Amino acid sequence: MKKISLIIILSVFLLPSCMNEPAEQPNTYKGNFESLWQIIDSKYCYLDYKNINWDSIHTIYAARVDTVKSTFPFFDLMGNMLNELKDGHVNLYSDFNKSHYWKWFQDYPVNFNTTLIYNSRYLGSNYLLAGGFRYGKISNGTIGYMYYDDFSDAFSDSNIAYIMNYFSACKALIIDVRNNGGGSLDYSKQLASYFYKVETLTGYMRHKTGDGHADFSAPVEIKTPASKNIQWQRPVAVLTNRMSYSATNDFVNRMKKAPNAIIVGDKTGGGGGLPLSSELPNGWLVRFSSSPMYDSAMQDTEWGIDPDVRDSIKVEDQAKGIDTIIERAIKIISQ
Amino acid sequence: MYPMNKIRFLLLFLFATMVVSAQNTDDKKYLLTSKTNTIGISTLSFVDPYLSPLTYDGLAISYDNEARRFLSTENTNISTQSLLNLQAGILLNTPVSSDMLYLGANYGWEMCYHAVIPIKGLKVLVGGLLDIDFGFKNMERNVNNPVNLDISTNLNLSALARYTIPLRHKTLQLQLALQTPVIGYMFVPKAGASYYEMFDLGNLTDAFHFSSLYNKRGLNSTLTVEVPFNRSVWRFGLKMKILRYSANDLVFDKNEFSLLVGTSFDTFNFAGRKNKAPKNFVSTQD
Repeated sequence: MKKISLIIILSVFLLPSCMNEPAEQPNTYKGNFESLWQIIDSKYCYLDYKNINWDSIHTIYAARVDTVKSTFPFFDLMGNMLNELKDGHVNLYSDFNKSHYWKWFQDYPVNFNTTLIYNSRYLGSNYLLAGGFRYGKISNGTIGYMYYDDFSDAFSDSNIAYIMNYFSACKALIIDVRNNGGGSLDYSKQLASYFYKVETLTGYMRHKTGDGHADFSAPVEIKTPASKNIQWQRPVAVLTNRMSYSATNDFVNRMKKAPNAIIVGDKTGGGGGLPLSSELPNGWLVRFSSSPMYDSAMQDTEWGIDPDVRDSIKVEDQAKGIDTIIERAIKIISQ
Repeated sequence: MYPMNKIRFLLLFLFATMVVSAQNTDDKKYLLTSKTNTIGISTLSFVDPYLSPLTYDGLAISYDNEARRFLSTENTNISTQSLLNLQAGILLNTPVSSDMLYLGANYGWEMCYHAVIPIKGLKVLVGGLLDIDFGFKNMERNVNNPVNLDISTNLNLSALARYTIPLRHKTLQLQLALQTPVIGYMFVPKAGASYYEMFDLGNLTDAFHFSSLYNKRGLNSTLTVEVPFNRSVWRFGLKMKILRYSANDLVFDKNEFSLLVGTSFDTFNFAGRKNKAPKNFVSTQD
């Protein structure tokens, strides 16, 4: 009995040393750089998919760290290293700046103009506003048009019920998610659910399980439920551009499988990796894609989703106050 | 004379039965519950690599409730105790760039054997404690991993030593309580798994783990002294809690040091048909 007691007491005090935490990097430029590099190396999910040689990046940027003398240039250096990932979901946050990568939309046509959608041909100035949706009837009252610019804006079944009821005489609906940079995946799922009759498999998700670049969990199914109370069963067009990103990318992916839906416009911006965050020894926060999401055919959605009908805003249309993409959608869903 | 004798006899009988009745009341044993309520102020130090690789330190306030009683009036070798701990705290990382809100609750049920110790004034209790632990950690700044939950149940070894120190005017009670987890079950998410995947998509693979001395070790030690005053007994104490556990290649630390103050008292629950209060107890229920 005495021996057992002694073993237990010794276990309590001595065995914690067997569960060692990973060594924390020092709060120096070098320590913070190594910490950031290590976080991305072990937790970022697209290094292999994007064919990024992260070891080479280390070699290049580690040499530059030695030349940095103050905080702002150091932040820029770290931000530039992260931009090698070409990922809008990767940011470095400090108290004075936030690094960003915007080429996923800056290098492409805008395909959206707010002055167009607020002219009298479309929403006008007397549009209705509910749960983040700006909505009104267009095309002589035959088409319902809803513009949703942020998947962080909450909406309820009640909001949607009023909107759908307002559009009850319309023969089709347009949901415009251009320039919607994302937000909540829950709202993405909820909005898509109004266009399904039965629960449908619309994608998959995995997550990193180890430090290796190819260490992933088994795919988990992402299903889009059918709303029990509200179902729009007429044609619906979803308008997209390159700034349709992240949760909006997820919404477009879900709508790809909706029975009466068609995607019109430009390819979405992507952002298929669910981001998580971590911290550096100096307290800066890094956000990075951690869990890749796929469509129902297990194809990665990180680089964006192609529309069913590709179109762009034409300069001559824009000069006349016409949104080419909206007009194309009206034509398709009116048939 | 005859009636007088009869009256004397009746009075004698009456007094005799009253004495017997009083003796019955005095002889009945009542099982008291010793309760303690304490509040505390604590320093906390957490490492939660699911939320951040950095150490978070901060302050917390806590409330503890303990209630101990013997199993029965006949069995005074074994006692049971219920323990409730509630805690709320705010912690900061070392560079003070982010904070963490912590809310914790722990409920435990303990059974102890009162060992016979041949030292005057010393009592030693040893036994087991089954507890359920819940902790909510929120880091507002984090993206998609702003919360981690500490959920576990543990079977702990527990020991308590109580030493009575007689002084000139009062008798102090010095007490040291120790608990250490031995086996249990705990929720620890995988580092890369988001709460969206776990709870929206229902993928809780590898999120629940068996715990033992291999992957969960800690010591909860509380040193208190109880000081009697005219109409109350006050408890003052120090608590030190260290805990380290690991799963899914993540190592968590939870360390706490607390100053405690509270009161101790004995209670008896009179309730039901068979457990009524004696006649000389006055209750608003009567």
